Amino acid sequence: MVSDQDSQLRELMQKSLKGDARSYSELLSQSAEMLRRYLSRRLSNKNEIEDVVQEILISIHKARHTYDGIRRFVPWMFAIAKYRLKDHLRAYYADRLRFAGTLDEAENISANDVTEPRLSYESIKEEVRQLPEKQARILYLIHAEGYTAKEVAEKIGMKESAVKVAAHRAYKVLKKKLAE
Amino acid sequence: MTDSTESLIASLAEGMEPIAPASRPLALFIKWLAGSLAYMAIMLLYFGLRRDLPLHLHAPLYLAETGLLACLVVTSGISAVTLSFPDLYQRRWAVFTPVLPLLLFLATLYLEWLHDSPPAPEPPHGMDCLLCISMFSVLPAAWLMLLLRRQASTHYYLAGGIALLAATSIGCLTLRLSEDTDSIAHLIKWHYLPMVGFSILGLWLGRKLLKW
Repeated sequence: MVSDQDSQLRELMQKSLKGDARSYSELLSQSAEMLRRYLSRRLSNKNEIEDVVQEILISIHKARHTYDGIRRFVPWMFAIAKYRLKDHLRAYYADRLRFAGTLDEAENISANDVTEPRLSYESIKEEVRQLPEKQARILYLIHAEGYTAKEVAEKIGMKESAVKVAAHRAYKVLKKKLAE
Repeated sequence: MTDSTESLIASLAEGMEPIAPASRPLALFIKWLAGSLAYMAIMLLYFGLRRDLPLHLHAPLYLAETGLLACLVVTSGISAVTLSFPDLYQRRWAVFTPVLPLLLFLATLYLEWLHDSPPAPEPPHGMDCLLCISMFSVLPAAWLMLLLRRQASTHYYLAGGIALLAATSIGCLTLRLSEDTDSIAHLIKWHYLPMVGFSILGLWLGRKLLKW
């Protein structure tokens, strides 16, 4: 059963590597289903699962040249999935630690401080302006204007997933810049 | 399936073009080894072989040491290229191939230490050896890192560390074939401890250069 599915996916990938878009779309859809099942045992939030599935699909796309169509496909795909999941969990727990830190500090913040958040869009708008135009606009719309990713996508004529990917890349660059 | 995932799949498939798969690990390794051996040969032509090499070809411990260094070049090179594939090319065992040569190499150094009695005089040029190893290793290291960067390693720390172990093994082997010294204290201090240091540096480089 498993090896049947693997040989089917392997065949789809072999065609995809030759440039067959239909097979590639089918392959990614089947992979997404498998990944969703895998992630639902490890993550509880549905939106989070979907975000990680999307990140893994992008990674599979980026690393597709490392699959030669000879060896089994499923272990290759799950190696990438585990790598991305680990990355995601690392970032998640790092954020939680940071949040825990800010809760500890909260006792020392006076009432006046609360009205002036230290890390608002305003405080990092210079860094945002240095980003590529499209990324800067997306962050502006999300964080200064309060639009959701879906609304931004409609407003600027992009797909929602593309907006998320662009925002994700922008956060990465900003995180690096702010850490310097 | 959610709309956003569906549209992501559609956009990824839309731009799908034929793509050449990466070479197999063995082919990648041979590519790296060929380039590195050519560089090693040029270095040896320039610096020359040690004058007493014919005599040393009859010394079992010298032969064991250089032979195991050569083994380390091969096994750590294979291990590094295997680590550059997300699934380790489904040959996990290949990653561990440097372990045995490394243990035997350490055992050989221990035996040489025991046999170095009375101790051979230490040459005064410690730092020169370190610089030579760096020079002999830099191109093989850069070439290997470049090859690894073209793949998609999910074990980037280890890939970087083992890549630098392979490259510095070439550097140490080159120096061992050209330098007239047999002081084991000197070899450990100025040849093999730096090799460990470079491998640790490789872990950091792996994170910097191979994370994707």
